[in-house]
Amino acid sequence: MGGNKRKWIWLVIGAILCLVFPLFLTLPFPRHLMIMIFLYASLGLAWNMIGGYAGQISLGHAIFFGAGAYTSTLMLMKLGVSPWVGMLVGGILSVGIAFIIGYPCFKLAGHYFAIATIAIGEIAQQWMLNWDWAGSAVGLTLPILPESLINLEFHTTKAPYYYIAFGIFILAILATYGVDRSKLGYYFKAIKGDLEGARSLGINVSKYKFYALALSAFFTSICGSFYAQYVLFIDPDSVFPLMLSIIVCLVATLGGVGTVWGPVIGAFILIPISEFTRIQFGGGGKGTDLIIYGFLIMVISIYQPFGVIGISKRFKKKEPA
Amino acid sequence: MPLLEVQGLSKHFGGLVANDRIDLRVDKGEIVGLIGPNGAGKTTLFNCIAGFYPPTAGNVQFKGEDITGLPANEICLRGIARTFQIVRIFKDMSVLDNVMVGAFSRTNSAARAKQKALEVLDFCGLAAKKSLLAGGLTIADKKRLELTKALATEPSLLMLDEAIAGLNQTETAEAVELVKKVRETGITVLLVEHVMEVVMPISSRVVVLEYGKKIAEDIPEKVIHNEGVIKAYLGDKYHASRRAH
Repeated sequence: MGGNKRKWIWLVIGAILCLVFPLFLTLPFPRHLMIMIFLYASLGLAWNMIGGYAGQISLGHAIFFGAGAYTSTLMLMKLGVSPWVGMLVGGILSVGIAFIIGYPCFKLAGHYFAIATIAIGEIAQQWMLNWDWAGSAVGLTLPILPESLINLEFHTTKAPYYYIAFGIFILAILATYGVDRSKLGYYFKAIKGDLEGARSLGINVSKYKFYALALSAFFTSICGSFYAQYVLFIDPDSVFPLMLSIIVCLVATLGGVGTVWGPVIGAFILIPISEFTRIQFGGGGKGTDLIIYGFLIMVISIYQPFGVIGISKRFKKKEPA
Repeated sequence: MPLLEVQGLSKHFGGLVANDRIDLRVDKGEIVGLIGPNGAGKTTLFNCIAGFYPPTAGNVQFKGEDITGLPANEICLRGIARTFQIVRIFKDMSVLDNVMVGAFSRTNSAARAKQKALEVLDFCGLAAKKSLLAGGLTIADKKRLELTKALATEPSLLMLDEAIAGLNQTETAEAVELVKKVRETGITVLLVEHVMEVVMPISSRVVVLEYGKKIAEDIPEKVIHNEGVIKAYLGDKYHASRRAH
């Protein structure tokens, strides 16, 4: 129980630090960095549900991110609906897409599932590049509306974006905790561990794989809508790229898959690297961060296949039963 | 009414006839042994009953209901649990978590699943190892865990696929005791084994397969004296030495 209490104290301290952070750091860059960390941590947590817990490696998650970004943006531009509503509709739409993807793809095992998701992600991107009504390759520039929470647009300060990103992150953490402690989490892990073994214990494997993908898609989509409102410009290359799917997978894998805090650790390591190299090298150094990522992934997979969180567990003494 | 009744079950893989019109009945409270030489079709029959293969022909009735061709997870929920010859434990999960996965088939509450899992672990003598990672257990304990997981689904029929094969003498004796204990709780057991010393003393009836066909079915005392079984299963050598006595 002592360890548990200490854990809660750390969590509360962490949450308070995150809450007061914008009061002390008023420059835009540190806030932007933290917003990106929260965004990618949430994306990593979302990916973790299907890729980490249920062990179905998706490399097409950009499709849900893009669906969220485009749904809220198009609803705002064409119908004048608040982005919050668009965010929710995008999330539901993504669950629908998850079902359409899952139905044929869940019959594929291991690498074949990953390959299929890459293909579907590419199809989505090509489609959006050619869909004139949705802006095609030119993309969509969001209308500049008066600053307000309802409009989900803020022009003078990044602080509200910071708190909204933090809120999404907290939701993703709570959802992951919920999964981790419940029947869902046990079933997802069993499916990852041994498919036939899972079936023999009464688990409807396709149904639970779909639940995992649906949860994952919903949160990824919410992140997409938030991204659109934050950057105020989206195009198929920024919200549907394969690279986004890969980075989301890397965030979770580097930190440690199938754990609550793994993707969070991954985001705190990867996103600063990405942002700093972007500043250091500018456009000419595009991809430098990926060289570093690649190196880190190699080191992790050779020396500690359970991610950074596995290293910390290795040093921790075993809890008495 | 028999608990499990298999009628005319056949399973073909292309041109290979793995099971050929097999009839089998298991009554409540029995331990039925299913034996036969390698490749006789024992595991295939298991897989057909448990929903892992759809049978080519024939039907399977459980508690009077037709369960032929139902998916494995559905069959588990109806009360048939099975173990695998090559254990299918979740090696990256703890022993307790493994058993909880089984217990979740009857409840949505994590607290109740945990309580059930602890009870079953205690019953099977694995309680002391509940916090260990399943992948790190010995073969004997892995087999025991495989059985524990299956029991956690609260089956009325437990099908064990070589749960004892490959264990040493002490471990075998312990496993046999466990199977007897399971039967005493009212669970019916269908046992695939090729270790005769195990099957004979605990089975109330023994069914013998050879080349996918049922060649004998009787109480153990009679099966071991059945000429066809001795020839087919125990081999000509044993057959010859019996003659010499």
